[in-house]
Amino acid sequence: MLNIRIVSKLFDSGMRVVSRRRGLMALLMACCLGLGSGVAQAEVPNAVAPKGTHSGEHVPQPIDFPHDIHADINGINCMYCHTYARRSKVAGIPPTSKCMGCHSVIATDKPRIQQLTEYWEKNEPPRWKKVHDVPDFVHFTHEKHLQRFVFENEGMNVENVDQVCAFCHGDVKKMTVAEKTKPLTMGFCVRCHEANEGPSDCWHCHK
Amino acid sequence: MSLKNVLENWSDYRKGHEQGGHHDYEHMWVMAVDLDKCTGCNACSVACYAENNLAVVGKERMMKGQGMHWLRVERYWDEPQIGGDDGQFQSAGGSFLPMMCQHCNAATCEPVCPVAATYHTPDGLNAQVYNRCIGSRYCSNNCPYRLRYFNFFSYYEESWPEPLNQQLNPDLSVRDKGVMEKCTFCVQRIRTAKDTARREGRAVQDGDAVTACAQTCPTQAIVFGDMLDKESRVSKIWAKQQVELGKTKQVKANPELRGYRILEGLNTDPCIMYLDRVREV
Repeated sequence: MLNIRIVSKLFDSGMRVVSRRRGLMALLMACCLGLGSGVAQAEVPNAVAPKGTHSGEHVPQPIDFPHDIHADINGINCMYCHTYARRSKVAGIPPTSKCMGCHSVIATDKPRIQQLTEYWEKNEPPRWKKVHDVPDFVHFTHEKHLQRFVFENEGMNVENVDQVCAFCHGDVKKMTVAEKTKPLTMGFCVRCHEANEGPSDCWHCHK
Repeated sequence: MSLKNVLENWSDYRKGHEQGGHHDYEHMWVMAVDLDKCTGCNACSVACYAENNLAVVGKERMMKGQGMHWLRVERYWDEPQIGGDDGQFQSAGGSFLPMMCQHCNAATCEPVCPVAATYHTPDGLNAQVYNRCIGSRYCSNNCPYRLRYFNFFSYYEESWPEPLNQQLNPDLSVRDKGVMEKCTFCVQRIRTAKDTARREGRAVQDGDAVTACAQTCPTQAIVFGDMLDKESRVSKIWAKQQVELGKTKQVKANPELRGYRILEGLNTDPCIMYLDRVREV
């Protein structure tokens, strides 16, 4: 069965971030072909995934954003929407304009998209709630982690970035609204730093 | 220096820096303060308050010695023999000394901490980990410079009532009651400079990391930089004054040179060099 990853590979094997046009095209093709999930989980090379689980409370969001439809069924790269992850401390929530880039034409009859369009027309951003929140005394950068595990990681395909994201965010691809499934405690961080030979200096992470 | 290193090399830790120390430094952040340029305007202190989320404790607590000024400008009257016979007035001539944590390479505060909340980083900084601090205040009592400040109260609501809390610097935490704190050489700025340099694929250059006080000083009396970078402005000033790290007594070819380190005879190996004020006698 042909799936979206292969489709996108046809266009650009070294794809870093799905461009809007390519994303759209891929989306449309995916819709046409009626593709499903079932992608084999590739291992992240040169990395030991952190262990530990957590069952966080369900955080209600203004719109029940389905991560599964976007990231799993349609195979959109995490960094297409969370653009800042590779160059900043925070991964970033996409502006509504980015949602509307696709959803002015795609699935406009769905209630959640209509809800989104309402926000868009009111010129008001949906007030998304933070799910993965580390305490204020922790200095965490997405950038450095992505550099280590993705961009400077030999043998790592950037299309599989979701598996790196899953280290701390869990399998978001299978969720609708993101839920906290990893503890994100100091022990969780430190064990991963030990396994992957990350810095152990206190001031690296504490501020 | 890691905690493991401190524990394993405890006995010769205090003297270790004279033989180069146990540290494998990536940087060695140091400072040079020219007292001849210092006008005592306190702008550095104000900048420090703004940058580092320092609590404003009020006059009464300040009088009790509970102030949280990481950088204080000390005022000294001139000695009588050089014209300062009337010590009560500014006209007699005074001099100023900006005092912040000296980031000693053989810091007296570090070995006494019962929980290793204060330690030396690979950047040559004397770090304070607020989360680990239990507030025993041993470090403060062992600091010969009296540059550590203890949060006797929780100042959050009183110091930054709404909407002032919006101006807090998000790059460092707001310390709560029972925690010791002190000057960090603006570690958040150093961290940003290092991250930026890494992203751009280059080494940290002189001037990438500037502390709030050095940036603010109107007369540029404070110079901050990396000692391991021999081309940096600060290491040139140190070299010119013939002051070296890792010595308890400086041997100068020219005794007229103004550079000195405060209480270096105590074997603390401070990272701040002061340039003495020149006065007419």
